Amino acid sequence: MRGTVLVVDDSAMMRKVVVRTLQLAGLEFETVLEAADGSQALTQLQQRTVELIMCDINMPVMDGLELLKQIKQQQLAIGVPIVMVTTEGSESQVLQAIAVGAKGYIRKPFTPAQLASSVLPLLAA
Amino acid sequence: MSDTLAESQLLTTEEFLSDRNMHRIDETLTEVFGMMLGCEISLHSPMESEPLSSASGGDEKTAIVGLAGVIRGTCEIRMNRASALSVTSAMFGGAPPADDIENSICDAVGELCNMVAGGWKNRIPCLQSRCSLSIPTVISGDHYHVHPNTPALRMNRNYLFGSHGLKLTLRCEMSPA
Repeated sequence: MRGTVLVVDDSAMMRKVVVRTLQLAGLEFETVLEAADGSQALTQLQQRTVELIMCDINMPVMDGLELLKQIKQQQLAIGVPIVMVTTEGSESQVLQAIAVGAKGYIRKPFTPAQLASSVLPLLAA
Repeated sequence: MSDTLAESQLLTTEEFLSDRNMHRIDETLTEVFGMMLGCEISLHSPMESEPLSSASGGDEKTAIVGLAGVIRGTCEIRMNRASALSVTSAMFGGAPPADDIENSICDAVGELCNMVAGGWKNRIPCLQSRCSLSIPTVISGDHYHVHPNTPALRMNRNYLFGSHGLKLTLRCEMSPA
């Protein structure tokens, strides 16, 4: 059992799908924090320590790329792996996300095996 | 994911209406349903007398995701309530919470449409980085019309998953080259 994961997605359904898929991939977390946009995620990160962040890109209020910029600027979640989970799959977006701190990138739809292969190496590192 | 359409080529009217494009859409639906819902989906040709809402008393759900960039348009997925509930339960991994069932259904149908729109555009190299998706909008009910600002190309596809039906409409206005 691992510590805390923060799942950021404007879809409550997709947040549940990500958590369930992590479980199916053998990744159980003691605490699951959820945020519906980047702004809510920032508030959570100012108060809590997390082990992993799974983050959508297209969200209202504050999108995923802006959240990553803010995390970097505010020096939050230092060393915590951030995996982008999104339907957007262009190379430029992947590069943009990596430039602002993402360590992994997975495109929806995904299987538990694909999620595991993106997340496990980051947690083991 | 590979496509013979080069990244520098624009999506033409002929390409949009081609069998190859229909195949991309079918392939995307198969992938999304297989991976996220764990079920098969197949193309269906409904009879004119076979209304989409026959099992729902007209309570339909339509999810719309906007496309913007080198093309402008929408991806729409329309289904009756029973079909939408089936999608929701499959994505949720069981029945959605009874006290939040309508929100869960709208959320699931919206996300489904988002993945289909994204999957389709990601199969076309010239759209991957030059076409963005909007956040999904979900309409409840069946008495509505979509009025694009300018005439748009339209592609309709009907599918069956289990005993449920789904109608996909892709509308597209091409930007001048």
